[in-house]
Parts: sequence; C-alpha cells; structure tokens
Amino acid sequence: MHIVKQLMAIPGVIAAGEFAYRGDRFSYEGALTNEFARMASILCRANTLSVNMQSEIFDSFSENCGCRPVQGWITRGNQVTVCAIGNIFCFIENRKELLNDVMTIMRAKVGDVQDDLLVNLYARIGGDTKEALY
Amino acid sequence: MNLERLMDLPGAMAAFTYTDKGELQSHLIREGNEVTPQVLGLLTRSCVANLAIAAMEASGWEAVTGQGGFQPLQGFSVVGMEWSVVVNGNCGVIAKNRDVDYEATFIALQAA
Repeated sequence: MHIVKQLMAIPGVIAAGEFAYRGDRFSYEGALTNEFARMASILCRANTLSVNMQSEIFDSFSENCGCRPVQGWITRGNQVTVCAIGNIFCFIENRKELLNDVMTIMRAKVGDVQDDLLVNLYARIGGDTKEALY
Repeated sequence: MNLERLMDLPGAMAAFTYTDKGELQSHLIREGNEVTPQVLGLLTRSCVANLAIAAMEASGWEAVTGQGGFQPLQGFSVVGMEWSVVVNGNCGVIAKNRDVDYEATFIALQAA
C-alpha cells in the first residue's frame, strides 16, 4: 500500500501527500483543496530544504554529529500537527499517541532503515508497524 | 527550568535552554554521546530561527486558508538521522530516534 493511503487510513489524519524536491508537482489525499495542497507542498519543501541546509552546517562544524542526513521535521500547532519525512507530508490532529504512530510509519517507510529491519520490511509491504511490534 | 526532568524523557541525550537570540544558556549532556556544547551552541541558533519561521507559517496558513488549530505554536522538531531535536519556547531536548516519544517531549517542553 502506498504510504499516503496507509496514513490516510489512520483515524485523526487530516491529509497526507507527496511533494517533489524540485518543481511544483504534488499529490495528496484528504481534507485539503487542490490549491491548499499546492501551498502545503511548497511550505513543506521549503522547510525540508531549510533543515537540510542547517544539518550541512552542523556537519561541517562537527563531523558525524548524528544529524545528517535529516529525515524530516515536525511543526506542532495548538490542535494540528504538520510533519514531513523525506518528501511525504502529513497533517494530523493532536490526538493521543497519533503523532508517535504516524512518525513510526513515516520513518519506517521513507526515513531511516537502520534501526529495526523487521519493522522496516513489514512497513514496506503495508503492515502496521506498531501492531507488528506489540 | 528543570533540565534534569527533561533528561528523564525517553531517549534524551541532552537538554538545554537558550535566550531569545539563540545563545545557549544552560545545558545537560548525557555522557557517551556525540553531542557537544559547541554543537548545542549552533543548534540553539537554528532552533530560534525554525520556531520563528514555523510561527510565521502557522499564522500565514490560518490567514490564507481560514483553517484553525495551528496557533499558538507548541513546538518544532527536526528529525535527524540518529537523533531528533524538539524545541518549544526557550528550551529543547535532543533524543535518540530509536527511543524518542515526540508527544511526551512536546508536552514536557510546554510545561517546562
């Protein structure tokens, strides 16, 4: 299952989508208009490039400090959280445990692959990583 | 600001406070990890910048779309390769990605 569909199946996920690192191509599902999704993609791409630039500076300052390459970022609002890992973004409600679940799935599918091979492989075939673990 | 309490969060490697200008004020670093006070000194500058940008985006998004729930901002996190830095207000926590609990960390920083 594609990660956007997988994220949208989780209660509390408002919208999820994919943005291109270059250009303005994007795709999405959920409660956004096409124009808002375009704006969200631009915002997410800008933030992703910004934190990547920062990690390059950290790395030149202190090599192998553990931050590079950056996987993504999270903005926590009062009732809504926006998170992006790789080129996938997700708008979620601030529900208990939802952010941790979404981040686990996003990191397993498009972020790091080194921590837990079983979680990573299971996520890649569309499994619920949390369910697989506990 | 109780940095010792922040160090009890899952995966916490370091906890720190900084001024509004991004100067490192106080910090605790758990022994045996790659984070140094020099890295923290640079990181706090970016924390201030990222929070300011995120607040601007939240404000702009609400104004343009009419959607609510983005303000007031309750924090920002950068997810690195091995660790994440989570910040809000004038303090932050660095936590190992393997163990980090983002929700608990955001809540702890809001209460701090």
